[in-house]
Amino acid sequence: MALPLPPASNLHSILLVTKSRSLGPRLVFHYPPLSPSAAALAANKAPAWFGNDTSTGSIASHSDSSDWDSSTETEDDIEAGSRTSGGRGSGRTTASHREKDRHRPSPGVWGRQESVDEEDADGEDGEGKAAGAGKEKGGDYDWHTVLGFQVDALEKMLCPSKAFNKRRFELGVEGIVFVGAPRFVRDDGYWKKPRRRKEKVAKENLEGSVIKLKVTDSDEDPSPQTVSGSASGRASAEPFEYPVGFEPGYGHGLMSGAASEAQSEAGSDTRSNSTTDNAPDMTMFNIVFVLNPPALEYQLRVKEMYDNVARKFAKALKYEQARHNYIWKESKRVIDIKQRAKENGEPLSVTWHQLINTSLLAKSVAIMFDAISNDKIAHLHFDKHFSTSFQIPQADSTPYLPNALEPQMPGLWLTTSNVVIEEDDYAPMTQHAALLLLEDAETLVKELEGDSKGTTTGLAFYVRTITPTKSLQKISIKHNILAHDMMNIAGHLVYWRRARFIPPLHPRDTYIVSPNADMSALQAAISAYAARFPTLPSLPKILSMLSGTPRPWRTMIPTNEHREAYMEILAWLMRGGWVTQLRTFAWVRVTVEIKAQVAADMEREAREKKIEEERRREMEDNESLSERLFEGDKRTSWMINRPSTPMRRRQDEDHTESNIMLSPRQGPYRGSPARPSSDAGSTSSNRTTIAASSNHPPSPSAQQAKQTQPHRPSPLHLKTTSPSQAPTMAAPFSPPTNPLNTNLLSPSLPSPPLSLQNFTPSLVLSPQKAKEKEARWLEKIGQSFAEEDLRELWPMLLRHLDGRHAIEDIAPREGLKRKRVWNLFHGVRDGGWLVSVRHW
Amino acid sequence: MPPRAIKAIFFTRFHHEKGSRVLHQVPEGSITPSTSPAALSQPLFAFDSITTYLIPTQQFCDRLLTFCVNHYRIIGYPVCIREGKYSRNEFIFNFAIVVEEGVADWVAYGEVVRKLGRLLRGLEEQAGFLSREEVGVWEDEGWQREGGRLLSGGGSKVYALCEMILEDLNNYAECMIPIDESNTINLKLFPTHSPPPPIHAHHVPLLTISLHSLTSPLSSDLTLTRIIPFINGIHSVSHIAQLADTDLSLTRKAIQHLVYYNCVVLLDIFSFGAVYAPTAEIGGYITDQAVQEECARYVRVPRMRFGSGVRMGSESTPSQSRDRGRGSSLSSEPSDTAINEPAYPSSNADATPTLETLITLYTSLRQGVTLRTFVLENLSLLHGIDIRRFVTFGVIKGFLYRVHKYPVSTSTGSREAHGVNGKAAAGLLVAAPLGSTGTGTSQASTVTLQGQNQAENRTESANPNPNPNPRSQQRLNNHRPSIASTNLHLAGIAGLEKQADMAHAEANTAARLGSIISSRDDREADLSAGLVKFLDGMHCFDEICTETGVGEGEVERRIKGVGVGAGDVVVVFR
Repeated sequence: MALPLPPASNLHSILLVTKSRSLGPRLVFHYPPLSPSAAALAANKAPAWFGNDTSTGSIASHSDSSDWDSSTETEDDIEAGSRTSGGRGSGRTTASHREKDRHRPSPGVWGRQESVDEEDADGEDGEGKAAGAGKEKGGDYDWHTVLGFQVDALEKMLCPSKAFNKRRFELGVEGIVFVGAPRFVRDDGYWKKPRRRKEKVAKENLEGSVIKLKVTDSDEDPSPQTVSGSASGRASAEPFEYPVGFEPGYGHGLMSGAASEAQSEAGSDTRSNSTTDNAPDMTMFNIVFVLNPPALEYQLRVKEMYDNVARKFAKALKYEQARHNYIWKESKRVIDIKQRAKENGEPLSVTWHQLINTSLLAKSVAIMFDAISNDKIAHLHFDKHFSTSFQIPQADSTPYLPNALEPQMPGLWLTTSNVVIEEDDYAPMTQHAALLLLEDAETLVKELEGDSKGTTTGLAFYVRTITPTKSLQKISIKHNILAHDMMNIAGHLVYWRRARFIPPLHPRDTYIVSPNADMSALQAAISAYAARFPTLPSLPKILSMLSGTPRPWRTMIPTNEHREAYMEILAWLMRGGWVTQLRTFAWVRVTVEIKAQVAADMEREAREKKIEEERRREMEDNESLSERLFEGDKRTSWMINRPSTPMRRRQDEDHTESNIMLSPRQGPYRGSPARPSSDAGSTSSNRTTIAASSNHPPSPSAQQAKQTQPHRPSPLHLKTTSPSQAPTMAAPFSPPTNPLNTNLLSPSLPSPPLSLQNFTPSLVLSPQKAKEKEARWLEKIGQSFAEEDLRELWPMLLRHLDGRHAIEDIAPREGLKRKRVWNLFHGVRDGGWLVSVRHW
Repeated sequence: MPPRAIKAIFFTRFHHEKGSRVLHQVPEGSITPSTSPAALSQPLFAFDSITTYLIPTQQFCDRLLTFCVNHYRIIGYPVCIREGKYSRNEFIFNFAIVVEEGVADWVAYGEVVRKLGRLLRGLEEQAGFLSREEVGVWEDEGWQREGGRLLSGGGSKVYALCEMILEDLNNYAECMIPIDESNTINLKLFPTHSPPPPIHAHHVPLLTISLHSLTSPLSSDLTLTRIIPFINGIHSVSHIAQLADTDLSLTRKAIQHLVYYNCVVLLDIFSFGAVYAPTAEIGGYITDQAVQEECARYVRVPRMRFGSGVRMGSESTPSQSRDRGRGSSLSSEPSDTAINEPAYPSSNADATPTLETLITLYTSLRQGVTLRTFVLENLSLLHGIDIRRFVTFGVIKGFLYRVHKYPVSTSTGSREAHGVNGKAAAGLLVAAPLGSTGTGTSQASTVTLQGQNQAENRTESANPNPNPNPRSQQRLNNHRPSIASTNLHLAGIAGLEKQADMAHAEANTAARLGSIISSRDDREADLSAGLVKFLDGMHCFDEICTETGVGEGEVERRIKGVGVGAGDVVVVFR
């Protein structure tokens, strides 16, 4: 997983193109009416990775760095430059729509610094539009070009062949890209399969799209890219399923299956509308989004736009078209108005104003553009039955703190709590998470009510129960809400950027100022904070309090009466990404003593087993005796609490251990008679354990006595030379496993010395997947605890000691008291059994 | 560049009667079916469905056109030459490359196609390089079978071009193909780099490659040549500019260029007062033994120093700094040790810290603990470890981060405090608006002037203040960000004032005060006044120190001074 990139749709225009029998390819509507020319867009391509926090010097260097770019084209493409539609308009629209677009040409991302300035464009406008309207040229009266292209040329380019039905249409022209989702009418003249043939979805699709392409098999390819928003792909497009009754309540719900189901009765008689003479006029429509993504983000941005917006929008439009010939009716109206305005020589802006007021379709496109180009959520109301929302989802948290060279996203919440740990067999953490509303509950409720005509009381009730200090599970129990409903609503709110999953806020948890906090927003935040908490310490004070050595939040709360207010402050700080929870992660550290003990145990067992076997062999004839012996055997294995395993296996593990002790670097010792077997199985052990090379325990508090050891050159390392020896050693050493087995099995040979010198402390990186040897160490550690409680819960605790699960999460997950967990944890840590670290 | 990313190269021509035809394709059969024995059994995509985009209308000619079909991305540069010698006065062709749709950096291929398109246009215009070959090709209806074969087999230059470009770009990412005496095709795939971040004066650059070993001069940029010897992972950008005697903004630009080409990473200023803490990536360090070993090699002090516990990075011996100067860094570390090792073979081994010690040390770094404290706490473990390298290793690998200190002024707090201070201020305070930190209005700037004047008047009245020490007196005044806003309010303007404007006004006021009061304190006054503008929470101490050229302790003292009696400046660690 990489750093999230700041949201940037790079959207510059939305075009609706239709193809009809009567009018042919037609650019029905584009929004905004005036857009910078393609060439100008292509030149503007600096990703907003570093915000606007650039001082003058660096801005200058940004523009100057192009001089360095080896691929900068010297040749000036005048033709491309001259085709600037509405050059003047471009200046205006840039200002109005895209303040965030800083004109910062970055070094040759698209290789060519087209550098079409507004002046240039204006200057050449005249020639460019010589064939134009005649009286006025360019700008607001330019009816003949869109994005610097002649409309008729563009129309042709944006009407692909039917092979592209329901597929991604992606046409790049220099640095800008047209991303479309073309939809074609079915061969039988319907826009939608008649209902009773629903089962044959796959077949129908095939039929519809097999045209001349030999490669059409891939049309039915189930990969998410090709399964476009077809009727069959409906379910996949929906991130959540709602309990029936919620989606109408929440106005800007997704196109839910239920809604379309409800409408389908009405829709089934579309034929009467859309196909009056059984030959529909419109045969195709293509909704095209014009982007100018920076080269490095190209794939990502295009995919985001297509998957989240273009495809879904096309699907919604097609649904409406199927129901009542929506697109074509609206299109005819739009074309009509445009035609009249054009003849009358009216300016574009006036006409567009009129269009948006008269045509729902035009309005939808305009709303869509305004929202998406500003990285917001677009709520579209097609009619009273059908409204839906679109957005490009944004990251709401990241575990990675970007360094100075990486894309910056100040203000993004920094945490690992949202990182999904795969192979986690627990119930999803979300039910133990709390929900942090990103706006106040009442504001949100009002918004919901405003959004929909239907009843929202149910939803409002849910929203009001939500508090960031309680997990969703607790809330649902307390208010007697079905956990399933709760999760649905939570998921919905999170998806639509109204809330965030957080670990429940708790006064005992520790919070720090987030290293990713957006300091440039501080001044605004200070006043917002002051308005909200006028009587409490100011925001800088609070942040300063959180700045020193991390302390639990409760230590900042002056009195019990302040508790609630301070929790509110904390929630407020969380919301703005000002703070983040400091979470504790730990790994188990195995000391040399434990290793020595386990090794001794295993050796003893091996010996016992050997004796056992010998005795068994002796008494092989005596059946009754052997029976008893088996029992005995079982008992011993039960005593060590491990399933009885074959001898060989254990010894292999033993060699592994010895190999840890003698890391490959210890060349001089490889011939030592004491450890003849040192290299068997070295690779696996090296992967899973840390071969520390001295007897030094990592916890300074515990075992102070040992602290001196690392500074004394240990005999093992004295002769260590360059690491280049390591590879040469590996080969000659693999075979001797077998001789060793026999060595150990025969009691006459001296067993390996088990002095502490031969062991090095190491970490168990993931106790859940511990090798047998590691498991025995862990078990041994567990036995060494004095407290009953600790011994008992050690296996549970172990599950969280892999450096990826926060200790803070144990209590809710395991249903324990938080205090008890901390007592356990401190008990273990103070014993020196843990390497623990705190981060977000 | 992904290996062998180019799946096919083909050359399309538009014939006024026969429409768009693929004249050459490599490999055979990749675009249109071919009977050649080596041909692909199936074209990569349906040529018919995309001819519109290969041979577009004139509007779209001479532009880079890309199109996606069937999971392939076709990158073409249609060229239209209008000249009387051609039939219908037009000669339209497209030399296109096919890559897979998912190729991340396809723009590099686009550049190649664009260049090729223009080159071919030039060649055709000069001597009919393309049209010459076509004589007779179009006449025969069965050209595809016979003519096409003939062309491709029979030494067609364009076909050879397709073939060579495909092979060379796929294998070597560049090619050089001589066309005739005066023309050569030179192509190279340039990977796209991410935009360089802004470089601040307090950034500390560290070379990741040894630029000194390059035989040819790196660049003709004089600034760059001068600063490179001073880039060592210790000096900040502004310090480098000083040492190299270069202009700061030019230095920043030069370093930005180094960053752009990944020659440099950016660190922070190392000091023992700094605070470092682990990031979430510390887990990666703990579980990755290779990184730990790399770390151990990197952080150990190259020479055994008997009797000295801790070797401070900043006091590195001449030999070591020379190493650094030569571009020692993570990647050049092996060579670094190679230089040192022969000289001190035996002592080196001892100095290597154990991996476990390193884990212990890294995990005991935490928020709120300065490096100084950390060193004192862990003195015994730090034997043979270069602290600076220890820290920078973590920062470079991303598992440590520097906790920066930001002074932030809380103007509300200051206003309350003023009531206690001056008598005049007390009077003004009564009217002080609660929300003076609110969003700015356009009136603010005019008001600022007014505020200044009044502030000046007030200073005069405040001069007879019993406080005998002019400096502290002046400081007192300085530290009242509310002066301007208060006056603003008195002037009857109800608008709220922007914090920045306030600070600005105050800075001006302070500057004037400085000149009024005494020349002896001029510098001090300027400095203290200058500090005010850093108090909006967007400037960390590193930055302030670099900008003002004053040590951190001094800055801190003065900032504290700014908030005398008011406590209106707090320090936020982030």
